Amino acid sequence: MVSTGFLDALLQGLVTGSVIAAGALSLSLIYSIAEVPNFAHGDMITIGAYLALALNNPGEIPFLPISGGGISLVLAGALGIVLAGSLGAVYERTIFRRFRSKGADLITMVIVSLGLALVLRNVVLFLVGSKNVGYNTRSIQDTNVDLYLTNGGLTVQTTQRQAGDIVLLNEWGYSWLVLITLFAAAIGVGYGVYRWRQSDSGFEEVHLVSPRVLGITAGVGTTAVLGFLLRGAALGTTAIWSTRIGVSVKVFVIVGLVVLAMFLLNVVLKATKLGTAMRATADNLSLAKVKGVDVDHVQLVVWVIAGSLTALAGVLTGWYASNLNPNMGFTLLLPIFAAVILGGISSPYGAVLGALLIGVAMDLGTYLLPPHFSTYRIAIAFVILILVLLVKPEGLWGDA
Amino acid sequence: MAVADFAVTIATFIVIYSLFGLGLNVKFGFTGLIDFGHVAYFMIGAYVTVVLTMPASTAAYRGLGGFALPEFLSAIPGGSLIGWLLGLAGGMLAAALVSLFVGIPTLRLREDYLAITALGVATILNAVVHNEHWLFNGPFGIRDIHQPLATAFPLSPGTFLVSLAIFGIPSLAIFAYAGYKLWGVLEPVSLRTAGIATAGGLVFVAGFAAIAIDFGDLVLGAAGILLLVAGGYIARVAFQETDVPGAVAGLLAAELFIVWYFVAPLVQEGAFVLLRNTLFLYDPAAGPNGGLDYDRFLLVFGGALLVLAYYWVERTVNSPYGRVLRSIREDEDVPEALGKDTFRYKIQSLAFGSALAGAAGGLWATNIGFIDPSQFAATVTFFAFTAVIIGGTANNKGVILGTVVFWSINAGTRFLDDYFPSKYAIQLAAARLILIGVLLIVILYYRPEGILGEQDYPVRGIGGGTDD
Repeated sequence: MVSTGFLDALLQGLVTGSVIAAGALSLSLIYSIAEVPNFAHGDMITIGAYLALALNNPGEIPFLPISGGGISLVLAGALGIVLAGSLGAVYERTIFRRFRSKGADLITMVIVSLGLALVLRNVVLFLVGSKNVGYNTRSIQDTNVDLYLTNGGLTVQTTQRQAGDIVLLNEWGYSWLVLITLFAAAIGVGYGVYRWRQSDSGFEEVHLVSPRVLGITAGVGTTAVLGFLLRGAALGTTAIWSTRIGVSVKVFVIVGLVVLAMFLLNVVLKATKLGTAMRATADNLSLAKVKGVDVDHVQLVVWVIAGSLTALAGVLTGWYASNLNPNMGFTLLLPIFAAVILGGISSPYGAVLGALLIGVAMDLGTYLLPPHFSTYRIAIAFVILILVLLVKPEGLWGDA
Repeated sequence: MAVADFAVTIATFIVIYSLFGLGLNVKFGFTGLIDFGHVAYFMIGAYVTVVLTMPASTAAYRGLGGFALPEFLSAIPGGSLIGWLLGLAGGMLAAALVSLFVGIPTLRLREDYLAITALGVATILNAVVHNEHWLFNGPFGIRDIHQPLATAFPLSPGTFLVSLAIFGIPSLAIFAYAGYKLWGVLEPVSLRTAGIATAGGLVFVAGFAAIAIDFGDLVLGAAGILLLVAGGYIARVAFQETDVPGAVAGLLAAELFIVWYFVAPLVQEGAFVLLRNTLFLYDPAAGPNGGLDYDRFLLVFGGALLVLAYYWVERTVNSPYGRVLRSIREDEDVPEALGKDTFRYKIQSLAFGSALAGAAGGLWATNIGFIDPSQFAATVTFFAFTAVIIGGTANNKGVILGTVVFWSINAGTRFLDDYFPSKYAIQLAAARLILIGVLLIVILYYRPEGILGEQDYPVRGIGGGTDD
């Protein structure tokens, strides 16, 4: 009998990390460009998730005249993200721009964002109440991928629980030779791509996607393609070591959407004039202003991006857990801050890496620690945060 | 429940949270430390006080303790109270010690990092108390809370008239003092402005009444909303023509209080209730002749502790020591350049503020009679921040005023719930907090120094000697 283990926890961590990354990415933009340590970020996530709920499952919201109906989650999520983006503009125009023009200090901004957090959370409580609700969407069943390491090589079985029994869907295997070839090819391709892109980068030439990321992507891609092509016969299940990984479409959708969002933001930041203005504002607001950057416009864009990305995180969290409650965003606030500080607040890319580290650490930690400690998931994020602040307060990739 | 009992409950809340807010003011107002984990010390104070004072073996409790200090000391006269006070001191000490452990790594950080780590500490300490059942009984909480001197109550020192006089006269004195102080604030308001503001307030209340008479009636509802808007507009005129808008707001608040506490009970229930409300410390239901019941005793006792804490904090911040604290808040490099070890000052300030929060926690547990981890959520810290900022950061009187304003909105308006269908309870609670959040932002924008502003400090002439 196989049971879930290290690899399953790692995959869980990747999903958790992706959701945190969507929040951390936007928090780092707000932190460095708008200079607001935004304590309302968690509740912006909640608002985004509930906006999609209002469109997808309006029956759950007693104040809406429509009962039942609602549009599909994909459309509702997309519209929710757009709406949350325009709400981001509202926060900036009605609150943060005014305080900025008064020259409010960091402490004031912290408290203002706290007040906004209080308002947002209670708007959700007011409209929906404190009950647990969920999106109206078809349920997706987990597929188990079981890995058996045998004397001859690796056997892969995919199984699924159907009507109470576990049914074998498919099985295949790789001999040791194939496995070694596969990993060698993956590492070779990855490193080759990295060297090829690295060679022509310099001070003048900035790559849209950094050579490291491209190298890793190429390596993972090669593994996937070769793994599919080189499938052989199953090698039995008398295993030296075996493990089970629970996979569902949700995992791919969540990781894929967050990666897509990161890529789009990356394009905006590096390849457009607006992005240049944003980076200039983050570096030095006064200097950017003197050089003719419309700082107010940049701030507005940053808040719209933040509203949309937090909504993305909210919809994905609500969908993944099949559960929404008014506290869902606030519980993510600590890991998001931990991720941003870990990566260095001035670096959006650092924030993403920090988020992946925090997400993986939280889920691996829950797996590795005795079961009794599983309730301290958030505490793991916090311990990492404290350690980073004590050892390297500027963050792992920060330059401040 | 009579209005007087309700008012006593709210007043006790205000006393406890003022103590809590004073602690926050030491940290945030005077030293500039954003401690978003302030509630952790409230929780520690509550639990440690309770565990130190509760009886040794109690049913349905599987945590550490109890250590039964009051029972242990009951042989000596007044030992029961001394035991409880020792328990409270233990709670304060525990809160201060924990804050030292938290402060040593985090106080060297930037202010925003301090805020998030403090919030994290509070969240995790709460999770520990919730999950570790062997510690303080986890989510089941503690019910057997020792209430000091509880056996002596209701206190009824003599015949009806004697009791009435003993507890009634201080009640009157408190109202007289409050009225005298209020007059000092209201004097600059012209009679005309006061009249306009009062008229606006009356129209506003009429609008509310129209909505509440029959919730759901569209005509009455529309008329009510119109009246609300009209009342707000009239009141605005008053606010625009005066140069002391704060005093006008105070006038309206005082009028509302008088209507709620004196006029409405007189009209609805008669003169006896009016008398009862006026002599609020005397409870006719306590004992055969009436007297002081335990809730009122706790209010007086807590009030005494608050006064002590107030003078303690005042003495501290007005001393040379307090001047260093304020200079750290303004610019840490300056005291550093003058040879002050600012880190020591910051950590002492943190411990002092946390000890006050611990005392508030001990009082809270005694007053409420049951504690569990859910009472100590992060929102309690945010409430205290709101109260401190509304009243006036770095102003100890402001903390008390801010707490009064906060709890008047958050708990004082709970009587409004009676006018709405009960299924809207969550909505009303949420609406209050929305109002508080908006108020926080509006105050920070229009009056960042709070209602009272930062307090004045006596400044000696240039020739006078400096003493630090």
